[in-house]
Amino acid sequence: MSTVIDAFSLVLQTDVLVAILLASIYGLVVGSLPGLSATMATALLVPVTFYLSPIAAVATIIAASAMAIFSGDIPGALLRIPGTPASAAYTDEAYAMTRKGQPELALGICVWFSALGGIAGTISLMALAPPLAEMALNFSTYEYFWLAFLGLMCATMVARSSPVKAIASMLIGLLVSCVGIENPGGTPRFTFGSTDLLGGIEPIPALVGVFAVSEVMRAMLTSEPPKLPYRRFGSILAGQWALTKEYLLPQMRGNIVGIIIGVLPGAGADMAAWVSYSMSKRFSKEPEKFGTGHPEGLIEAGASNNASLASGWVPSLLFGIPGDTITAIAIGVLYMKGLNPGPTLFSERASSMYALYIIFILANIIMIPLGIIMIRAAALVLRAPRAAVMPVIVLLCAVGAFATGNNLFAVATVAAFGVIGFVMERNGYPVAAMVLGIVMGTMVEQAFVTSLIKSDGSILPFFSRPVAAVLAAMTIAALLWPLGVWTWTWLRRVA
Amino acid sequence: MQLSDRVTGLFMIALGVLAAYGGSRLPPVPGQQIGPNVFPLVVGIGLAICGGMIAFGVGHHYEQEAEADLAKISGQIATGTGDGDEPSPWWRGLKALVPPGLLLFYVVAVDRLGFLPTAAVMVLITSVALGARLRLAVPLAIGAPLFVNLVFSKLLRVPLPSGLLPLPWLGLP
Repeated sequence: MSTVIDAFSLVLQTDVLVAILLASIYGLVVGSLPGLSATMATALLVPVTFYLSPIAAVATIIAASAMAIFSGDIPGALLRIPGTPASAAYTDEAYAMTRKGQPELALGICVWFSALGGIAGTISLMALAPPLAEMALNFSTYEYFWLAFLGLMCATMVARSSPVKAIASMLIGLLVSCVGIENPGGTPRFTFGSTDLLGGIEPIPALVGVFAVSEVMRAMLTSEPPKLPYRRFGSILAGQWALTKEYLLPQMRGNIVGIIIGVLPGAGADMAAWVSYSMSKRFSKEPEKFGTGHPEGLIEAGASNNASLASGWVPSLLFGIPGDTITAIAIGVLYMKGLNPGPTLFSERASSMYALYIIFILANIIMIPLGIIMIRAAALVLRAPRAAVMPVIVLLCAVGAFATGNNLFAVATVAAFGVIGFVMERNGYPVAAMVLGIVMGTMVEQAFVTSLIKSDGSILPFFSRPVAAVLAAMTIAALLWPLGVWTWTWLRRVA
Repeated sequence: MQLSDRVTGLFMIALGVLAAYGGSRLPPVPGQQIGPNVFPLVVGIGLAICGGMIAFGVGHHYEQEAEADLAKISGQIATGTGDGDEPSPWWRGLKALVPPGLLLFYVVAVDRLGFLPTAAVMVLITSVALGARLRLAVPLAIGAPLFVNLVFSKLLRVPLPSGLLPLPWLGLP
């Protein structure tokens, strides 16, 4: 009980509360602007978190990402342009409702079920994390190796692209993490004589480049989205309670699917929304209504993407394996703040963990009033011309990257990864998989090499412990999956 | 920058082989078989295999499915050059290089010119490249760097070089 009281006293500090409020507003604005994703919002927030207390730093990330995922629905519903990729799955549905003259209902569903989904995700985090932590205390490097490997494979399996390309992206990420002196031999590896590369390539500048700079590069080639006409909204929350009761089952299904996808490493809110929307259509009693402004799919997918956000923290906090691209950034911040991910976090820093749960709940509750204000102010915010927003983003990329280590090499890294991310995206290589490779590379190598040294170069011990064997089987199945699918289609073509 | 799968696949093969070769030449840890060479070797070989599969078009149909899904919802968003319907002059594509170019400019110039002038140039060019009128771009180029500078040097205490334009009356060094 005393830990819970401690946790409340950690959260109820002025700096934490102010940080939550400001980060929420920031997340709402950035998420609602088309082309600026929730991941980008989080990445640009990192330099700011350096200067906050640990709890305030984590709070800003939680609040900003939750708000941004919801707020991406606003331009989706009003302009048919998703504000973040996580809203893309049901943008058509929401826009159809607006055309039918029910924008209030559509946006109300988005905010209400986003908040409920977020709370459901938090409950799953509270329920899943402690028992898993208990189990993880017995893990050796073999289990960690397979777990990390499995995480990487999951990221490639769920990518909305060719699985082979996703694996290639992930391997490029691992290769990037090889750079530097921090390897089992302590020798400069792939540094090409550069002293700047000795320290390796930092994940944060790479992430900023991939998610922010390449987005600005894309904006250079596309035309400006249309302006939102000013309109007066009726009551946003009217009828939501009736919908909650009517569509209880789809909502629950959305929450659960979101939680599962969130826990899977690498798969995040966008994946959760796509899966939930198509699931909702498949199991619905009236699938013919989908696409014509029917609330069911919107409820299920809207709940799902916010639920995935909280459960994405489960593997991140327990194993340091990011559940999605947002937690990939959050892990960096956790390390910086001395909250190193690992099962012991739940015993040694229990009050911090409870504080984290409280922040999640708090962020999802204030999402409702702040979200309603944002919906009413949307016409104003979305009027900001892209030519005014993007230059500031470029500037923040430069200064933010500089602030992470007070060196200019980080800024050059941002530029390089902007180009890499842009070219990869254009050619169908999912960048999220690469990011995961960069973030997890050191951990994978460490677990792999330590295990190999322990086993004296033998492969057998990798499979002899029971949990390791199960994880290994899952990983190998994931690895052979694209090969199997390819053989299957090839056989069908021949037959 | 849309390249065929064959080109990117071959690039992956080359990168993988180079990584594996470079990794294998790293000095081992004395008295141990496993050293810093193992991981790049494994990753490089994996990358080369993936590159080969990509070059032969394995898994391509997944991409087409995903693209069809996306095309359905983004039908209204005008697509840019490269995958747009209307042909546009080749130099339009180069506009994409403006943001990374400006970041490199920042690396080179910020210590000599100072933060405010460098940032002003960056904001001005990005804004004009996105089609802003000077009426918007110039005030933005003056205001945004000042604001960012105040936030970073005052609130976050990140020292930004003042260079040619020290502003002691604003409390900036």
